[in-house]
Amino acid sequence: MLKINDVYAKAGDKEILKGLSLEVKPGEVHAIMGPNGAGKSTLGNLLAGMPHVEATQGSVDFLGKDLLDLEPEERAAEGVFLAFQYPVEIPGVNNMYFLRTALNAQRKYRGEEPMDSAQFLRMVKQKIKDMNMRDDLLKRPVNVGFSGGEKKRNEVFQMGVLEPKLAILDETDSGLDIDALKIVSDGVNQLRSPDRSFIIITHYQRLLDHIEPDFVHVLADGKIVKSGTKKLALELEEQGYGWLNQ
Amino acid sequence: MAGLINNWLEQAEQQNSAEPAWLQNKRQQAFSQLESLQDPNRKLEFWRYADVGRLTQVIDAGTESRPESALPSGNEEHDLVVRITDSGFELSAQCPDWLVIKNINELDEELWADLSFDQETVVNLANVVLFDTGVCIEISKTAKPVSILIDYQFAESNKWQYLRNQIQLAEGVHAKITERLHSGRLNVVNLFQVANQTELLRMQDFILSSTEQLVSFNQFDLNSEASVTNMSQHLGGALQHHLHRVNFNGQQAKYTSGSINKSYNNNNIVDLIEVNHHHKNNQSEVTHRSIAKDKSQIFNNAKAMVAPGADQSEIEQDLKNILLSEDAKIFSKPELEVYADEVVAAHGSTIGALDEQSLFYLQSRGIAIEQAREIMIESFEQEAIVC
Repeated sequence: MLKINDVYAKAGDKEILKGLSLEVKPGEVHAIMGPNGAGKSTLGNLLAGMPHVEATQGSVDFLGKDLLDLEPEERAAEGVFLAFQYPVEIPGVNNMYFLRTALNAQRKYRGEEPMDSAQFLRMVKQKIKDMNMRDDLLKRPVNVGFSGGEKKRNEVFQMGVLEPKLAILDETDSGLDIDALKIVSDGVNQLRSPDRSFIIITHYQRLLDHIEPDFVHVLADGKIVKSGTKKLALELEEQGYGWLNQ
Repeated sequence: MAGLINNWLEQAEQQNSAEPAWLQNKRQQAFSQLESLQDPNRKLEFWRYADVGRLTQVIDAGTESRPESALPSGNEEHDLVVRITDSGFELSAQCPDWLVIKNINELDEELWADLSFDQETVVNLANVVLFDTGVCIEISKTAKPVSILIDYQFAESNKWQYLRNQIQLAEGVHAKITERLHSGRLNVVNLFQVANQTELLRMQDFILSSTEQLVSFNQFDLNSEASVTNMSQHLGGALQHHLHRVNFNGQQAKYTSGSINKSYNNNNIVDLIEVNHHHKNNQSEVTHRSIAKDKSQIFNNAKAMVAPGADQSEIEQDLKNILLSEDAKIFSKPELEVYADEVVAAHGSTIGALDEQSLFYLQSRGIAIEQAREIMIESFEQEAIVC
């Protein structure tokens, strides 16, 4: 599904990724862990097409397409979804309108018919119920006045509605209390399927107690320095990242 | 003779005067004051960022249409439409007993209100000399909640029309008054006299093509416990110059203002508000959102003056502006002039581009950049919609 090959990338003027390679197959869940400043979020932003994050070398193939050659909205319509670490607030635009606009923009790109209001309403009501979230979320302006936890829940809800092929969760667990962490994790687990993959960027092992990864990678100084199973996350929790400097 | 003032004075001398002596006297006073002033120019605060030259320009209309409204309630029903045309005014329905609408020239002397104009407001002063149409609306104490649309429809688009409207709302009235330009080139003065415990929702909805011009002066006199919500939308125009003056004449009154200014091409919009807290315990909230594109220019200024002794006044000025092109310009200035001791006041102004992070957020959900910009602009405008 996703093949990142020897990618170097800079954020602004600073080179952050330095020869990163990663392959994600359909249905796999990859956790990316690592110390602050290692390039975890830059990786997520690069894949989603954030301005000022630019690959200087290497390639990213997503379902046979050169991902780096696509605009952010094209990447989204191809199936890439980034759950933001800090979701932005959009006053005056309610979630329902926002999501329907996004969904229909993606459908248009894929040559599908737009979803009418009634169909969309039925679909989102069912999704929000399935994900154990409160439906007042739909009427509120996007992320405005939301607590940190509500913003993260909204990201996962958007993911549920847009049904991406590759979801990148950028520190979705940060700022969540135990109950919120469970709701978010349950939402992600519901979306797991043989043809949907996840890259979960996190600092802590606790999220991986709820979302079982197939692989855990340690990202340090812009590249993956170690890969393993969930056991690696437990080791990191015990040992920290000090060993990287030895 | 050349110059704007000379033109106005010449025009005034040619006016046929069958008016009552007291009104002729008022006009003569304004005429004399006008003679002592200079043409509007860039040295004046109110005209510093306006293209004064456009007051005399007549621009070929071509085929350009007007921009789209930012407000959701563009075509709502009104109880009464007052259509002001070249030949006077007409009403869409008969007035109930509690509502009197008459030609401004038929105003009784005791109902006339002198407005204070000076060099800064010289273009509005010209209106006193030259107005020949407009309406006086009196809504009495027994009134039901009412919605009135004042619609300007003038056939001659190149001729400046000078209008004066005087609206008197009696105690306890709930009224909505919308002012809209259908066609014409206007210099309009509006006076709203708002009695105790009265609620006024006033909407000024001026959507102009790039060839049209409009100057407005709007004064709101609020008595105790009155509430005025003023929603303005100024889109387009070769020149739009608006001044809102608010006078708190009692206590515990509230003035809330939301204003959306949008300019494109070579538009020039000036949106000024001056709130005078003459007495204690009054509250004013001003929210302006301006968006300039292409080579257009906007000046928006909010000034609040708190007189000595006007304690417990509460003032908020929130001016935010977005530039959508390198050549567009916005000048934005919140001002507080406070002579009282105990006042709660906050003011702020920002000018910037659309937030890149927010645009990326929308794009990352599949929304194309152009549509993302539209959504962001809509979101920005929403903050100023106060009704």
